[in-house]
Amino acid sequence: MIDQVRILIVEDDAALASGIARILEREGHAVDVMATGEHALLGARQESFGLVILDIGLPGIDGFEVLRRLRADGERAPVLVLTARDALDDRVRGLDLGADDYMAKPFAMPELAARVRALIRRSQAQTGPKIVHGPLILDTLARRAQLGGVPLDLAAREWAVLEVLLARVEKIVSKDAIIQAVASWGEELTPNAIEVYVSRLRAKLDPAGVKIRTVRGFGYMLEEFREKKTDQ
Amino acid sequence: MLKALLPPVAALLAAGAVGAYFLSLEPASEAYDQALVDVGIALGERIRSAGEAVSFDLPRAAEQVLRTDKYDTIYYGVRRADGSVLAGDPGLPPVPASRKPEDGVIAYDAEYLGRKIRVAALLVPCGREICTVQVAETTNKRRALARNIVLSSLVPELLITLATLAIVWFGVKRGLAPLEDLSSEISSRSARDLRPIDPGHAPEEARPLVGALNLLFGQVAEASRNQQRFLANAAHQLRTPLAGLQAHTEIALAQCEIARSHGVPDELRVQLEQVHGATIRTARLANQLLALARAEPGGDRADTFTRVNLRAVVEDAADEWVHRAMAKEIDLGFELSDALVAGDALLLREALANLVHNALEYTTQGGRVTVKTGLRNDCAFLEVEDDGPGIPEAEREQVLERFYRVAGTAGTGSGLGLAIVREIALAHRAEIVISTGENGRGCKVGLTFPHG
Repeated sequence: MIDQVRILIVEDDAALASGIARILEREGHAVDVMATGEHALLGARQESFGLVILDIGLPGIDGFEVLRRLRADGERAPVLVLTARDALDDRVRGLDLGADDYMAKPFAMPELAARVRALIRRSQAQTGPKIVHGPLILDTLARRAQLGGVPLDLAAREWAVLEVLLARVEKIVSKDAIIQAVASWGEELTPNAIEVYVSRLRAKLDPAGVKIRTVRGFGYMLEEFREKKTDQ
Repeated sequence: MLKALLPPVAALLAAGAVGAYFLSLEPASEAYDQALVDVGIALGERIRSAGEAVSFDLPRAAEQVLRTDKYDTIYYGVRRADGSVLAGDPGLPPVPASRKPEDGVIAYDAEYLGRKIRVAALLVPCGREICTVQVAETTNKRRALARNIVLSSLVPELLITLATLAIVWFGVKRGLAPLEDLSSEISSRSARDLRPIDPGHAPEEARPLVGALNLLFGQVAEASRNQQRFLANAAHQLRTPLAGLQAHTEIALAQCEIARSHGVPDELRVQLEQVHGATIRTARLANQLLALARAEPGGDRADTFTRVNLRAVVEDAADEWVHRAMAKEIDLGFELSDALVAGDALLLREALANLVHNALEYTTQGGRVTVKTGLRNDCAFLEVEDDGPGIPEAEREQVLERFYRVAGTAGTGSGLGLAIVREIALAHRAEIVISTGENGRGCKVGLTFPHG
């Protein structure tokens, strides 16, 4: 489980802002909502936030400018940018200005919640040596793994593959990307070898509900951990 | 133009030839007549009169000289006022009653012994009465003359006609060549190309036309830009409230779930699910309208295409699709090789997203969808194949039309997806082909991009 953090939502549409706020509050986070960039900048100076959700289309100074000033002020919290505009243009610009993730309106709330979790996890991982994914805990410093409180035995290559997948939960990681990440400390690797490591990982993790999905012809994706199936 | 010019030019030259013929025939013919009249005057002087008695005396030698001619047969006749023949050929046709001699002389055409002749008649005073002297000749000389005139005037006229027509033909063709270039330039344009024509390439005479065309192009392009700007703005404006609506329906649905788990009946759940479904569809429609506006000519997009690898476009966007595939338990797979095209990455991503969306929408649970990119015959292609119900062959053209939906399909699509794909294909000059999937099942939609 990730820690609860304080989240700043900067969104001028009251309905959307309150909707996002409720979702994130239900996840246990503390939420502040600001409707303008000016207020957001003031708020960010006074309080410390674990995450900022920032709309681009704000009245007054727009989201890009808010982002630029936040980063200029030394704000290090991850920023998730929301926009109603063209997906790619805004994303490139937002990422250039120091945004961490990007969502085009409208979006599904579960997706937003998942992105928020991923961002918080990532920012916490950068500050701590432990990677937590449901019942799975990887202590990168001690190089020890636990699954459901029980020590988990992982070969060095299995560990490396798992670390790559854990860094991009819910995203497809291509076989090539895995080979590049894993082969940096070893000899040449074939896609077949990766398949072998993944199937060994599956055998170990599947019983605890940690699922690695194969995306045919592309790569693998570590699914977000769900306590129990919400579907059905 | 040549067809229009040919008949009048030919008629004019023909009229000129006929005019020249008659104009030169008349004086020549008069000279021959005069020669006949001269003979007549000489004959008239041979008439002797004494009281009532009139006689004509022409020595045999003189008559022979008179009758000698290289080309024609000469006839003559001398008559008294009562019509009796004094001398010469007796049957020469008399002066037609309708013609009055001027200055006692008249020339006329007639027929004698079955041949055409020209007759000159003179009225000569003889004693108390007036005798008539007729001198006639056959028309060989005159016909030869006419033939000569015709030959000497018509042949040059004909040559001038041909030369004129040739000059007109070359002139017209040369003059029209820039116009032809202009029309071929316009006809080779795609409907989305509304750039003004360079007036520098147009001939002087066609400049006003080019100017008017450019004005029209400009107005059409502006109208199209306005429409797209409106569409894009409307779609943008819709997105934020839709996001709020979606957020709250999802929260409400989640609360229903909690209520149900506490044993409280959730009567509103069915209605909320309807609202939620409609919200999602509306949001998708807004996105599609925006995409359509962007893909259309004059749309809000960069004019210059960049080198785009279709493989990278797919790899970038795959995350967005895979969750939906997982939710429907569809095996979404990829067969990707590098495929470089000149294009707009955003539009290509949109086209792919629509193809994959359709494939996932119409494929049943447990089905299979495959996205392919690569090179085929040196041409880059992208392809999305599913094993769903497919599109009947008869409807494969129509599904590319806006808002067309295959009858009896289960999905809740807007009918815009493939229309967007077609617009984007057009913008990239890519060919779009809908066919049956491998193994004769499902649907395969492919875009093949122009070579190089």
